[in-house]
Amino acid sequence: MSAPPTRRRLARVPLLVWVFLLVPLAAELFWVFWPAANSFSLALTRWDGIGLAEPVGLQNFRDLADDPIFLTALRNNVIWVVGFGGLSVVGGLALAVTLNRPGPFVGLYRSAIYLPMVVSLAVSGLFWRVMYAPEGPVNAALGALGLESLERQWLADPAVALGAVLVAAVWRQVGYIMVLYLAGLKGTDGSLEEAAAVDGANAWQRFWRIVMPQLRGVSTVVFAVTVIDSLRTFDIVWAMTRGGPYNETQLLSTYMFQQAFTTGNLGYASAIAVVIFALAIGFIITYLARQARTED
Amino acid sequence: MSETTLTRRQLLAGGMTLGAAGLLAACVGTTSGGGGGGGSAGTGAVTLQNSIQDADPKAALEALVKAYQGGDVTLNSVATEQFRAQLTNYLRSGDSPEVLSWYAGSVARAYADEGLLLDVSSLWEGDGPCAGFSDALRSLSSDASGAQIFVPTNYYWWSVFYKRSAFEKWGVEPPTTWDEFHALCENLSGQGVAPLANGLSSTPWMASGWFDYLDLRLNGAQYHRELLAGEHAFNDPEVVAVMEEYKRLVPYFDKNAASYTAQEAATPVAQDATAMYLVGAFVSGYFPEDQRDDLDFFSVPVIDDAVPTAEEAPTDGFFAAARSDNHEGALDLLAYLASADAQQQFIERSRSSNLPTSPDVDTSAFSPLVQKGIALLNDTEEITQFFNRDSSDALQATADTALTKFLADPDSLTSILDEWQTAAEGVRGS
Repeated sequence: MSAPPTRRRLARVPLLVWVFLLVPLAAELFWVFWPAANSFSLALTRWDGIGLAEPVGLQNFRDLADDPIFLTALRNNVIWVVGFGGLSVVGGLALAVTLNRPGPFVGLYRSAIYLPMVVSLAVSGLFWRVMYAPEGPVNAALGALGLESLERQWLADPAVALGAVLVAAVWRQVGYIMVLYLAGLKGTDGSLEEAAAVDGANAWQRFWRIVMPQLRGVSTVVFAVTVIDSLRTFDIVWAMTRGGPYNETQLLSTYMFQQAFTTGNLGYASAIAVVIFALAIGFIITYLARQARTED
Repeated sequence: MSETTLTRRQLLAGGMTLGAAGLLAACVGTTSGGGGGGGSAGTGAVTLQNSIQDADPKAALEALVKAYQGGDVTLNSVATEQFRAQLTNYLRSGDSPEVLSWYAGSVARAYADEGLLLDVSSLWEGDGPCAGFSDALRSLSSDASGAQIFVPTNYYWWSVFYKRSAFEKWGVEPPTTWDEFHALCENLSGQGVAPLANGLSSTPWMASGWFDYLDLRLNGAQYHRELLAGEHAFNDPEVVAVMEEYKRLVPYFDKNAASYTAQEAATPVAQDATAMYLVGAFVSGYFPEDQRDDLDFFSVPVIDDAVPTAEEAPTDGFFAAARSDNHEGALDLLAYLASADAQQQFIERSRSSNLPTSPDVDTSAFSPLVQKGIALLNDTEEITQFFNRDSSDALQATADTALTKFLADPDSLTSILDEWQTAAEGVRGS
């Protein structure tokens, strides 16, 4: 296609459309990109939010490397990305495949599993705090089953607290992933599967060789959504443990919040934000690049 | 809290709301600026930013504000933790709220050092409403140059609270010496009662209560203040001695203490499953109404006779922002809130066990518990506030980490204190 027709087509776009496009763009630039860019420059300063920001170069990042809480948060974030991402994708996919076939109450199950997604993470967090309370339903159920030895201070014991929060987060996320995969499964071609069955492929082979490749588009979306969601996880941890006991369930996001707004180290907090940004972008770009290569 | 989940659309909507709020505020400003002469003092519109969250005290403040004749007051109530996070922003903004509720002592002084607080010395002079307040309160409310920047309106005391009926049931008496206290804990443990309550989950600062008191009893108030001001290290032998004493108490705490909040921790005490709770007098609000008369307290017993007696008495009140539009209105509202009448009404309506700062309040009608609290604070030689109020919210965070970790793993004392000192230096250096 040559250039002139494109230009003519652009010229034919009515002014009103440009206005509709440019106003949100300006708002986006001002409200999203400008603050984001600011946080990059703040990361190179020491700033308490009151006085003048004092430039310190890369000192914040050097401090981060020696900060035991940051390292705990980073480790927890890795556990979180793998655990939250892995469990919710596996769980969501399994549920989607199970609930994709007709059966009694399938609609009811689907809505029931999706329901937690409707509730905000903060509310889910409060709900699970009640579940995990020392005399709460989880411990009571274990006691009733004669498993007293498994009773724990779920949110106060550093050995299990992060896992306990993870379960609550996955409980909510799994329904969302299920819906995404259900939509993907509706778009697969049933006749391919039938043909494979005629050729003697078993259910497992049919799923991995025939169905999964058709779900690649959905999987890309799910991967991106999951990585972004797990890196920005904040509310459920804040609602359930506030990063405690003694910072053992701190994630990068909660530690950033604590540094910024409790301790008032806005420069240091911005440095953490930059790390989160770099991680998210790194994950997504690597994945998309790999996807693009396999599609070529 | 939700900024990580804000979508762009919400952000835009938020922006519009802010804009609209600005417009509205501008309108309010104009109208009352014109009609400000209506009130008796006629000092125009004033915004009061309130951090008091518990239901009864909040209602009491609302009633007080409603009865104020001096001008229009817009009362904004914000949850305490949110308020704490936003406080520097409130004070820094060009159009700051005129009056804000917060705490006396180092924490207010830090804001004064930044030039963010209005000098309220005029209220402390002549026949000003604060002129008759005690010298201790005056020094708590003064900045580094000696000018007053805070208006204290009430305070409360910390002590070991218990239920008289429960002590009778278990056949025990409040202890008078430290050895008796330990014997009492042993006795109660033997009866299957958890001796000490605490709630450290979302309120990990509660772990500082015992730390403060043990430091006051072993090293004295002067050392304690110096420690919090950074003149001593948290891994000094004096602090190690405090922690060794704390360690002896660890087995006595309710096994669920790490999972409870400060408020939830009062429930087993109300149910006679846990015996004693070192906590502020606000705890009376956590008990069912019919148990409040049953509550009693004793001061943490003396450990070393040579150390002057000391109690913690956190002081609440209000300060005014330097960068607000209406200094005159702020001072007028502060004078009203500090008056004996307003203090009395606030304390009665909030049904708290708080004490008035004004010597002119008639306390004879207050409950016996409060009378005993007043006597306790009158008799003590030294008064401190609480860890965060004697230092900063940032240093409190380091204490929370160190002390909750210590309570979970008392044997790692040495490494925990070293980490604490490093973290404290980090806070002070930044």
